[in-house]
Amino acid sequence: MARFTADITPHPEAIGRLADDVSDFLRGAGVDARAVHHVALVIEEILTNVATHGGCPDLPATIALEVRQDRVSGEIGDQGRSFDPRTAPTPDIDAPIDERQIGGLGLHLVKHLTSALEYRSDGTQNWTTFCIPRT
Amino acid sequence: MDVSEQQVGRVWVVTARGRLDGATSGQFAQRVEALITGNEPRLLVDFSGIDFVSSAGLRVVLALVKKVKAGRGALALCGVQPAVREVLEITGFAGMIDIHPERTAALTALS
Repeated sequence: MARFTADITPHPEAIGRLADDVSDFLRGAGVDARAVHHVALVIEEILTNVATHGGCPDLPATIALEVRQDRVSGEIGDQGRSFDPRTAPTPDIDAPIDERQIGGLGLHLVKHLTSALEYRSDGTQNWTTFCIPRT
Repeated sequence: MDVSEQQVGRVWVVTARGRLDGATSGQFAQRVEALITGNEPRLLVDFSGIDFVSSAGLRVVLALVKKVKAGRGALALCGVQPAVREVLEITGFAGMIDIHPERTAALTALS
């Protein structure tokens, strides 16, 4: 079982570099292109949310991934405000162009692309865990 | 991210390679918005080299769609990779943007 761990200060450029590292690791572990993309996307969206809404863009977050036979499992630890991504409101994705809002699409993607999504807070850290199925 | 543009008849064709994310979307937006300042702009974005799109990238795409619509123009995408296509479908973008498999068909539709 291949494992990947990293620490990151969630600034946009650093998130981009982390996504590249994650993608290289997953491709090297034989993960299909769809799952590689979606794991990198889920990590980017969660970390971006931590940086923009969690109130702690300068505090380090941790990432851990495990490649299993049928899925990729991930855990992100951060020190931002407590927030359960599963409770994020669903955006109106059928609204006309003029009324279309961009807010909420990131966590909408996270909820759709993950086969499991869990959240817990231990008082000092938030822990978001997820699974992306392999094909 | 690498971005280049060329004019084919009345259509601006933008070719981008790499990631369209929080780190690159600002640069991409600035480059492309400069092409659609007139009336009835016609814009084709060739996505065949785009291997990653996040919600930050979608934010830019939506802004382009709104700007083109306000100018009574047209916008289309071509060459969208399967994982990116899935992102466009989940977020409803596939229903509001013309997406063509190949550049030639997209140019015909926009011309």
